[in-house]
Amino acid sequence: MRWILAAALLFPLVACRKPEEDSGKTVIRFLANPDVGGFAKDIIARFEAENPDVRVEMVEGPAATNTREDMYATSLMAEEDTYDVVYMDVVWMPKFAAQGWLRPLDDFFTPELQKQFLPGDIEGARFRGRLYRVPVQSDGGMLYYRKDLLEKAGLAPPRTFDELFAAAKRLQAPPDRWGFVYQGKQYEGLVCVFLELVWGSGGDILDAAGKVVLDAPPAVEALRWLKGTVGTISPPGVLTFQEEEARHAFQEGRAVFMRNWPYAYNLMNLPGSPVRGKFGIMPMVHGPGGKSAATLGGWGYGISAFSKNPEAAWRFIEFSARPENMKLAFFKGGILPSRTALYTDPEVLRAVPHMKDLLPVLHAAKPRPVHPRYARISDVVQMAVSAAISGQKDPQEALEAAARELRSFAQ
Amino acid sequence: MKKPGAVNWLFAAPALALMALVSAVPIGQTFYLAGEFGRLPLDTRLRAVLWNTGVFTFWTVSLELILGLTIALLLTRPFHGRGLVRAAVLVPWALPTAIMAMAWRWIFNSEYGVLGDLLFRAGLSGSPHIPWLASPGPAMAACILADVWKTTPFMTILLMSGLAGIPEELYEAASIDGAGPARRFLFITLPLLMPTIALAVLFRAIQSFGVFDLIYVLTGGGPGGSTQTIALYIYDSVFRYLELGYGCALTLVMAGCLLLLAGLVYLPKRSRG
Repeated sequence: MRWILAAALLFPLVACRKPEEDSGKTVIRFLANPDVGGFAKDIIARFEAENPDVRVEMVEGPAATNTREDMYATSLMAEEDTYDVVYMDVVWMPKFAAQGWLRPLDDFFTPELQKQFLPGDIEGARFRGRLYRVPVQSDGGMLYYRKDLLEKAGLAPPRTFDELFAAAKRLQAPPDRWGFVYQGKQYEGLVCVFLELVWGSGGDILDAAGKVVLDAPPAVEALRWLKGTVGTISPPGVLTFQEEEARHAFQEGRAVFMRNWPYAYNLMNLPGSPVRGKFGIMPMVHGPGGKSAATLGGWGYGISAFSKNPEAAWRFIEFSARPENMKLAFFKGGILPSRTALYTDPEVLRAVPHMKDLLPVLHAAKPRPVHPRYARISDVVQMAVSAAISGQKDPQEALEAAARELRSFAQ
Repeated sequence: MKKPGAVNWLFAAPALALMALVSAVPIGQTFYLAGEFGRLPLDTRLRAVLWNTGVFTFWTVSLELILGLTIALLLTRPFHGRGLVRAAVLVPWALPTAIMAMAWRWIFNSEYGVLGDLLFRAGLSGSPHIPWLASPGPAMAACILADVWKTTPFMTILLMSGLAGIPEELYEAASIDGAGPARRFLFITLPLLMPTIALAVLFRAIQSFGVFDLIYVLTGGGPGGSTQTIALYIYDSVFRYLELGYGCALTLVMAGCLLLLAGLVYLPKRSRG
């Protein structure tokens, strides 16, 4: 009995040791989401075949991204070399870089190489003039619309806020079918929705010089418009929607328009989906003073400042970002590539023709404020927007209060 | 007799060392790391989360006390199948909070939630789509309801143990003197149960004030921050904003509130003697 106890106590100590001594190989470790589709393992296998001196250890962590962010932060806070490569969401990078947890990649990631990627993805990889992240997955918000319903009514797809509102109002039949669904719950997704409208009106949260402009007229107008959708063209329950609630509503034919990410496209076109072949995608609508914009999402690789093998880590990152491997990820896992050329690649287009519609969306994609305290900025904005659209506060007041708070720590 | 000094301390030493390791050290570190106290009085969000936490604590503890006492009184009377009922009452408390919070989120969902559907079928609502979590009042009520559902059993157990300690003879004597059930409850049960009630309320109030998992899963603090509690704010400050100093300062504010709460529960008892 005593031995079992002792073994149980000692096991974690033994199990936590880095096993690099046994094989003589350099071990590169990183934490990632569960490898659905298995493409990440394929890429690793290909890499190891080409680089026999390196072993790549992918730790498949929880699917919840904020949990993985915390796991990285905890390890990096302790300045441990547990992870050599940091697989990051676009919004984590400034926070990690500002703490000095990431190694700048300017020496490796040359300007010629950068040019092959989507401009938004590169912009989202830069912090205080240096590059910290190689994008391998792109993502951007866009508008889904019911082609069949619009055609029947003889309407063209809307381009502006007003056109969207009018078309939604005309084609909806609440409570069975609403005009417009989006992510209205208080969480990161709401900031993405809001930012697209603000950019579309010609405004921003922080301007180019880093000054807070959240209470300027474009942002206030955008928020007024969004508040106006609740209960008129959007169901009151939209205030509790995340991506999946919106997708289900749209997929079941209970919405005419939807703001969502590209992932929904394939799911809604599966056999058995009620809207299969009946919908189209386009860039988000805009206001009188702006043009269509998309909030940039997506993932990329950085190198931990505490890694003892940055050179091997770079070799793996460079390999993963090669066109053929992005294609593999796209075909096996539906991962959108971050290289511009792949959106006009004949093989890709033959399999997924709508990729050509995605290119303008992703070209217009902009990163959320690249700021070390983005998490806090996001919370302030989320709360203000949520309070306004749920009717607790007037949009102008809500944004003025939020801007005051942002000025106290973000500029 | 010799004074029981050194030897007792020696025996207590291992336990004290363990306590120091797991509580004195982290507490000391919190004091050491805490900073930016100047921000506290200006922090509008702090005021909002304290208010939310207070509202949540007041309602959950009050409702759980009333319900818990009722159930405890029912379950101390012997009846057929009492063991089974007692066990069944415990089920909500035995469930992991995060999982039951997820289930409540589905129940309250505006699109496919069963609560809206039930009200619709019963003819109490015009539509099955009721956005419970979309406005501040109902969202807070949803959090309170989920917590009451989960933690009433805890209150019930504590109060039942208190009830078991009241001698049967007192009730008999009171009955002989002509006291009815109401008077027996008011003049025997309630006064003798007071210490247990105070303890149960203190336990629950501390837990309730520090609520995190339930709200994190159910509403995430929304809408508009209207269900955000202080524990969620501390989590955000430390783990998401990486503001360790201010997070520790907030933790001290929370600890202060808890001490105050404990004082409020225990003070009346002291003054009575």
